[in-house]
Amino acid sequence: MPIDFLAGLVGLVLTLLIFSYLIGDNPLFRLATYLFIGVSSGYAAAAIWHFVLIPKLFNPLRSNDPAQLILAVIPFILCFTLFAKLLPRISWIGNFAMAILAGVGAATAIGGAMLGTLIPQSLAAMDMFDVRGLDTAQAFTRLVQGAIMLAGTVAALGYFQFSAGRAPDGTPKRNAFFEAIAWLGKVFIAITFGTLFAGVYMAALTAMIERLSSMINFIRQLAGI
Amino acid sequence: MRVITATFAIAAGILVLLGYFIDADALRYIGSLITDWAIIIGAFAALIGIINLIFVHMEKFRTRQTGGIYSVLLVISLIFTTGFGLLLGPENQFMRLAMDAIIVPVESALMAILVITLIYASIRLLRRRVDLMSIIFLVVAILVLILVMPTPVGQLPGAQQLLDFINTFSRGGARGLLLGIALGTLLTGLRVLFGIDRPYGGN
Repeated sequence: MPIDFLAGLVGLVLTLLIFSYLIGDNPLFRLATYLFIGVSSGYAAAAIWHFVLIPKLFNPLRSNDPAQLILAVIPFILCFTLFAKLLPRISWIGNFAMAILAGVGAATAIGGAMLGTLIPQSLAAMDMFDVRGLDTAQAFTRLVQGAIMLAGTVAALGYFQFSAGRAPDGTPKRNAFFEAIAWLGKVFIAITFGTLFAGVYMAALTAMIERLSSMINFIRQLAGI
Repeated sequence: MRVITATFAIAAGILVLLGYFIDADALRYIGSLITDWAIIIGAFAALIGIINLIFVHMEKFRTRQTGGIYSVLLVISLIFTTGFGLLLGPENQFMRLAMDAIIVPVESALMAILVITLIYASIRLLRRRVDLMSIIFLVVAILVLILVMPTPVGQLPGAQQLLDFINTFSRGGARGLLLGIALGTLLTGLRVLFGIDRPYGGN
């Protein structure tokens, strides 16, 4: 049996099992999802082993260079302390490796947030007001767009400002100015989520068309049409 | 012990952070070395997580919990795929078959059923919470879908201008959300680096 045919047949059956969810949660759908989780976890394990652990950990351990060997032994020991996490009584041993993971994760997140979002997005917001080299009409359009976008950015950020004073009856209440900004922010966020929803829907529609077309093609191939 | 683990986390974090922001070869080298260690530890932790997944599902079957029979399928498929993957490598023909016959079709089909579930969710939104924001959200979504959908006569007249107009608003809101997420991430990262939050164990 050719391997492409087998892949097509299994794919067709699994697609039908997943589509059976449209009539409600059922054993066929669960069968497909459990199989999917098992196979994808196994695939991930194999990929981690071959693409990360062998080149970054085990190959340097076989090196003849003492410096490289020492630098490889440290993560090797830290990795094995992680097994202690499976046993509650000695799970603290694994905390050192987890501490390095959390520290590096935090530093990477800070670096990513600063260099990947805060600075580029702030620059992009300012860039909308750079009208050098544009004629009057273009400059006006760009300035209006920039002002709307800046208002949206500030209002959306303002929506998440939850510090509040106290009303005379003791209930928490923001002042009227922040309340207005938060309301405007909500409108901008609703428009943003509407656009995102449309994007996700189009992606889902594309996936649906791809699945249906692959099913039809497989059946046509099977029937020799 | 808690002080030592916190010191490990803070020292590792600060060294990596210095490598990002200070232009010195030594700092960059140390930062990249420690990041490599974290990648290795993270990969190993993922493997241990997968081993734990096997134990959890074997326990589920052993104690005859609801859906235990599906757990058997999960464990068998996981062990077979891992075994073949470790022996033959992820680029082998059999592993490609697992990818092409199981992983890609199921992921794609799960994405495809969103077509129905998103419509259902929209209807539920209108039935449960009819307010101005829900209406704005749905009107914008429907409008964008109509404007970008291909029609037999090509794009509708004025569609691009209207789409640009909507995008001006949505880009402003999206930028606000992105900046908010980045500020939240920054704060969470700083709390870990100052030892206020200790997700690695210890209070």
